[in-house]
Amino acid sequence: MTNKDKYDNSFTTALSIDKKKLNKSLEYNSIQEWDSIGHMSLISELEKNFKISIETDDVIDFSSYQKGISILKKYKVDI
Amino acid sequence: MPIASSLLDKPRLVKKLRDFHSYVIKNDGKVGTKTRGIDLNFNNACNLRCKYCFTNSPKGDHVKEYLDTSVIANLADQADELGYFEFDLQGGELLLMADKLFETLEAIKPERFYLYLTTNGYYLDEKMAKKLAKYKVSRVSVSIDSMDEKTHDEIRGRKESWRRAMEGLKHVQKAGMDPYLNITVGHYNAFDPNFKMLLDYSKQQNYKTLLNVAVPAGMWQKMSEIVCDEKDRIHIQKLRKEYKNLVRNLWNPFDKNNEKILGCTTVNRLYITPLGDVLVCPYVHIKIGNILEKPLKEIVDFGFSIKYFKNHSDLCLAGEDTEFIKKFMTREGQTIFNPSKAEDIFEKGDFIKN
Repeated sequence: MTNKDKYDNSFTTALSIDKKKLNKSLEYNSIQEWDSIGHMSLISELEKNFKISIETDDVIDFSSYQKGISILKKYKVDI
Repeated sequence: MPIASSLLDKPRLVKKLRDFHSYVIKNDGKVGTKTRGIDLNFNNACNLRCKYCFTNSPKGDHVKEYLDTSVIANLADQADELGYFEFDLQGGELLLMADKLFETLEAIKPERFYLYLTTNGYYLDEKMAKKLAKYKVSRVSVSIDSMDEKTHDEIRGRKESWRRAMEGLKHVQKAGMDPYLNITVGHYNAFDPNFKMLLDYSKQQNYKTLLNVAVPAGMWQKMSEIVCDEKDRIHIQKLRKEYKNLVRNLWNPFDKNNEKILGCTTVNRLYITPLGDVLVCPYVHIKIGNILEKPLKEIVDFGFSIKYFKNHSDLCLAGEDTEFIKKFMTREGQTIFNPSKAEDIFEKGDFIKN
């Protein structure tokens, strides 16, 4: 499984959404599933799938699907 | 577009919510003794006369007392320190005296909490919604009893209640806060088509729906016939699967399969009255302390020393656990202003020694 697959799976699992909803314009709070509760589940899923621990500042900055890709680079995860 | 409800604008809240999430995951999806929310009734005056009010506001019970803003500020600081991340302001009716509400918001510092209001929506116009959003209110919950205007207005004791409440929810959504449509469900309406219509309406509008089970407390004290039975509970659990926007405080919000139970949140979610009394939840009128007399931590520790509140319960103690209701919620005259004292109502064996 590629990092891109893991990244996408984290979203679809944590937010219970279809893969079709994943695109560059997907942002926090832009869909009902990605609310504050969904955000916590998403971060947890990413941490589990990539075996990393995401700092709180990055949890706050993680405002979109696209932004998340650049944040994960800090943790040596290339999507 | 900036969204008022955004978690990402509240770093302190993110930290606390992460702690809560981690605790619940490690604790097999259960709330345990993790602090969650404060339900604050700082004044009990209301413009409506709801038949089932749990605070006895329609009877004019203690409607003139206010909790002082300096006390509220201190309470919020202590709550923040203890990891409480939700603050639910309720009444009475909060928008009846809006100036007092905004003073209270300033005292609490909403940037630290997922702060929300529970209101009947009567005074919730567009201007008010915008102002609430500006004050960093994350969510507004409006209680609706039926899709039938007449039924709602009759229960609420005032014409126009339904129309204004429904409009209010639209203003909340437009202002960028989370709109919650609150429904009380009991044995009398669990299978009523009107209940289903409300659920459908809320879903169509992209609102969240908060279900509160009917509790035999306040104006409904001793009305055991309103309590949901096993069949009702199974039905509600099925609805949880069907409506992804459906929320109960008892349910695990992180479970995407919509099955797990977080547990009854007595003490995890405290209720504070205009007199400063701390009750274990809004509906269980048992006092575990007073914030004017003791630090919040001491009160919380005392609350969790009682086995009924420390141990996990799949049932809401106030609205589903008939044994608990019979034993602890039927005392003559027991109200939020005349609560039973925990040290009197529980026996020695009910306390857990650490």
